[in-house]
Amino acid sequence: MHRSVVKIMALDPTVILNYWPLLVDGAVLTLRLAAIAFVGGMLIGAICATLSLLNYWPVRMVILVYLALMRGIPFIVIVFLIHFGLPSFGIRTQALVTGTVALTLYAGAYYAEIIRAAVLALPRGQWESARVIGMPPIAAARHVIIPQIISPSVPPIVNCTMTMIKESSILSAITVAELTYQGLVIQGNTFAPFEVFISLALIYWAITIAFSLLAWAYERRFGTASGRTSRMSPIAARYLDIDGKSGR
Amino acid sequence: MPRLMDAISVNFRIAFASILLAVLGGTLLTILRSFKIRALNVVIIVLISFIRGTPLLIQIFLFYYGLPALGLRLSPEVAGILALSLNSAVFVSEILRGSLPSIEDGQIEAATALGLSAGVIWGKIVLPQLFRKTLPMLINESTVVVKGTALLAVITVVETLRVAQQIGASTFRPFEPIIGAAILFLGLYVILTALGWAVERRHAQERR
Amino acid sequence: MKTGPALRATRLIRRFGELKAIDELYLEIPYGQVVSLVGPSGCGKSTLLRCLTHLDPPDEGFIEVGGESLGRALLPNGIVKHNSRRHTDRVRRKIGLVFQSLNLWPHLSVMDNICTAQCIALGRSRDAARAHALELLDRLRIGAIADAYPGQISGGQQQRVAIARAMAMNPEILLFDEPTSALDPELVGEVLRLLKELASSGMTMLVVTHELAFARDVADRLLFMDRGIILADGAPQDVITQTADRRVRDFFDKVTAFHPKFMAGTKPKEEHS
Repeated sequence: MHRSVVKIMALDPTVILNYWPLLVDGAVLTLRLAAIAFVGGMLIGAICATLSLLNYWPVRMVILVYLALMRGIPFIVIVFLIHFGLPSFGIRTQALVTGTVALTLYAGAYYAEIIRAAVLALPRGQWESARVIGMPPIAAARHVIIPQIISPSVPPIVNCTMTMIKESSILSAITVAELTYQGLVIQGNTFAPFEVFISLALIYWAITIAFSLLAWAYERRFGTASGRTSRMSPIAARYLDIDGKSGR
Repeated sequence: MPRLMDAISVNFRIAFASILLAVLGGTLLTILRSFKIRALNVVIIVLISFIRGTPLLIQIFLFYYGLPALGLRLSPEVAGILALSLNSAVFVSEILRGSLPSIEDGQIEAATALGLSAGVIWGKIVLPQLFRKTLPMLINESTVVVKGTALLAVITVVETLRVAQQIGASTFRPFEPIIGAAILFLGLYVILTALGWAVERRHAQERR
Repeated sequence: MKTGPALRATRLIRRFGELKAIDELYLEIPYGQVVSLVGPSGCGKSTLLRCLTHLDPPDEGFIEVGGESLGRALLPNGIVKHNSRRHTDRVRRKIGLVFQSLNLWPHLSVMDNICTAQCIALGRSRDAARAHALELLDRLRIGAIADAYPGQISGGQQQRVAIARAMAMNPEILLFDEPTSALDPELVGEVLRLLKELASSGMTMLVVTHELAFARDVADRLLFMDRGIILADGAPQDVITQTADRRVRDFFDKVTAFHPKFMAGTKPKEEHS
């Protein structure tokens, strides 16, 4: 007990102060990785969602297998699979490239699910009524379907992107020089694990909080937030209303 | 491959222990929050935000490398289980919280009017329905925990990924053992997901 | 036979902001009496039931059930004492409330709906609780559905289960919140017959209802309530026909306008068959 108090007193901020440029570099790369994964993943997601909504079973099977692989295998294993797998197909490249590919493929599967769910949540009549008045499929998608799925998909997409930022920390395992990797480098030089990992956690936390504020602002502005607004009896609210939203 | 098969049981056991602790902890967090004690809820909300806002990998590092700096040294397995279950408890608590409003408030009133105490209302009325309603989501959360166990390779827990890496290092063929590990994880995922589907189907029938 | 009132409410007040939903209400119900409470919607009937069971504790006033105070107690020396939550839970068991929406617990079987509170709150053994529940179910003629779940039985059966659940606690008094309003018309007569049976078995009851037929044929006493105040209180026939208060007159004129047979004295059950 005594020792732990001493240790806390001995928290050494200079560890971080001396190495902060590394952390900044790492954070920048983390955000860039997330941005690439977002753009690439949305592209993959949109394509997969569209293809899987077509009633052509071989294509649907392929996409189903892709989604199952990405959801069923731990991301760290996927990263190693691609990292060690590409060279055995004769493709030799940097860890940064394999890491980006892995993260993008991974993100694509999750975005595909979100987009697919948003389309399926629309009443069937939306699509049919557009087609029946003679809109070609692309126009129907562009003018009828897509505008309606954007708003409800924003919260899960933001959520998913935050997950990708967090998952990108795993790329440190194949030496991609993002935030966590830089933290491990500093830890190797200073042997101050607590300071280093707390700082890493705080930086990730700040990034995700910034993102959730964005999502919150969006929901406020466009009012997609839902929830039980009706009044609940005070007795029941004692158990069922954790946030105290229902009050009189 | 036999070595990998042995190792996947390590993942399974760690995941199982973590899920149990997580459901316990998540339920506790939910009940604590329902008391609406201001200071306590602020602490819980900050904890939830922190756990949700930081990578699981960093949380594992904090438990394994960070706690010894505070004088608490844990074995890699224990540190791993604690990190996984704390992480998952937060998500379990969010799942439970999300389903609370689906319980009709009249049921609580009926229980209160019969003179049942708060503990009984939680234990007999609220929680049984809550677990039943959220079971598919809780099973989905458990697949997340299973995948999380692979991360424990980085803190030297001898689980499937770690063993695959060891085999790769000794044979100089890293790709094949990783494929083996991926197949095993996929198998666990498929089993759990099938279980989730079965539960959901049974629910759909019960609701009629 | 027990003496003293089964239920006594003294100067009850319940405010919602500026509005007084219950305004200095006094009520005393002796054992064995069947009281029906009528009044326009929003007059405070449901609030009164919720106050009497402390689901919605009154802001002022005192409630006594079978001689024991619920929530607040006025001691002889004039000091107001607040009972503990545990005490409140215990006294609450002496009042049975049958909700308008029934509020059965969907995850428990009929038997468990009835036994849970007996076992836990009254400390009865599992077997004793089951035996008591079966007796009640038989009395309500639904003994066959003991192992069904609430989602599997009809609305009329659910109503009986809710009544059995309240009666299982051997309450001093049973409160009903509009027992017929959630039912299909063809079930109304059935439930009224059931209430009549309960009444003739000596059960003390307070029934909030829109069924004037019940008020007139079954109840010993009729209360008319408006804006949180009891405007008329007396034998049903007297209140309906001889009351002086204009608001009460207006109400009964309106209601009886839709029930021509009622004023003619025909058995109103036929309306529902």
